[in-house]
Amino acid sequence: MNKTSPSTRLWTARCPMFSWMLAVPGFLAILLGTACAPAQAQTDEAKPIPILTGGAALLSNVKDGQPQVLTVAAPVLLVPLGDRFLIETRSKMQDIFERSDAAGWYGATSTQGLDYLQADYIANRYVTVTVGRFLTPFGMFNERMLPFWIRCLQNTPLIYPIATGSSDGAMLRGGISSGKANINYALYFSTLSTNAVLKSDRTAGGRIGMFLPGKRIEVGASFQQLLQQDRSRTVGMHFAWQPKAIPMNLRSEYARSGMKGSGIWIESDYRLSQIPHARKMEVVSRAQKYRVGKLASADAVNLGLPAADTFEMDFGFNYYLRDGMKATTSYGRQFSTAKDSNIWTAGMSYRFVVPLGPKDMR
Amino acid sequence: MKNRNGIYAALFLLVGTMLAVNAAAQNGTSATANASPAVASAADARALRIEGEQRFRANCGRCHNAPHKFPPRMMATIVRHMRVRATITDDDMKLILRYMTE
Repeated sequence: MNKTSPSTRLWTARCPMFSWMLAVPGFLAILLGTACAPAQAQTDEAKPIPILTGGAALLSNVKDGQPQVLTVAAPVLLVPLGDRFLIETRSKMQDIFERSDAAGWYGATSTQGLDYLQADYIANRYVTVTVGRFLTPFGMFNERMLPFWIRCLQNTPLIYPIATGSSDGAMLRGGISSGKANINYALYFSTLSTNAVLKSDRTAGGRIGMFLPGKRIEVGASFQQLLQQDRSRTVGMHFAWQPKAIPMNLRSEYARSGMKGSGIWIESDYRLSQIPHARKMEVVSRAQKYRVGKLASADAVNLGLPAADTFEMDFGFNYYLRDGMKATTSYGRQFSTAKDSNIWTAGMSYRFVVPLGPKDMR
Repeated sequence: MKNRNGIYAALFLLVGTMLAVNAAAQNGTSATANASPAVASAADARALRIEGEQRFRANCGRCHNAPHKFPPRMMATIVRHMRVRATITDDDMKLILRYMTE
């Protein structure tokens, strides 16, 4: 796992400054690339303004007979600076109401977290440099599907805790279009942080994806190397397809970690927009499987992973009341080597967008 | 640890060099590439709008339903955010922004 070429080992052993000798020209090359690259053609477009957006949700779920009520708010603040910079942050405040025992009173547990606080610099057409705390680019669910107003089923996939969450460090990302295919990539390095708010692991990794606009198919692969503790490696693949003929989305993700186990999920959502009187309705289904890794059961549960091999089927129904507001409900059956259980969810989610700054700026 | 630093630094150098070469190569063609959305005449406007709608459905529709259109300055911020979040290409971003602010 920790193999390096003999020549690299020799050089770094003889010359401690070898890393810097390579890194400094690399940094200068990026700056050169930035300076030479064509600027963003936003001069003829509307100047962006700061906005406050995000989502809020009220959810109720019953798993294995244990009821739980959640209230969640996740505000997102976007502050554009000039033509190339964007400061963005998302925090999450969550209250969980549940009974400690079957007949007792409901008690509340409050949690807060900072999902990301990052500065983005759009260096050129192909590269955006991000520094700060950012969502770990692994698969597609963590970065794109996580907000409650976006996700089709309120429960996250079983494998979601594998290689996702937030990272503290720097990232290069971007997209390249070649007509018939769009290539997107993200490369990052994260440092170790034990701060309660900025908690992250020392990792390096990346993701590369290809989107075929004509066929509306996206495929991608992700990689993450943990640079601490057990130095485990995680790989993943994702796939999405949006057929042109019908209003359906098909998505799937696979992840495999040396320590945290492996699993796959596949989800389809079908908007009934072709049926009169049912245009605002959506039906969803998801099948998923998880296989435990080397982690002890207690550690797996702490991470949010199942403690035993699990297979789960979920069926959901969403009703879009208006833009950004939907009612959601689902039923799932979980088959586990530990215990089978039913999972019911119902709730409402809402997305808001508010312009900030003086009125004459908007 | 030093071995790893050497590998990361070499990767960093490689990425930087590729970007610099790529950017330099793009300079010659950037005028053509950037001009296509900008020089839209009245005759092209409809074609650009259709193209923008297609790009919107292909990129944004993969994750969420179409939102209402917001005022142009708000939309400019949202599209910049989504460019980073969803790694939308530069060309797609311009066409989507144009479509969403018309």
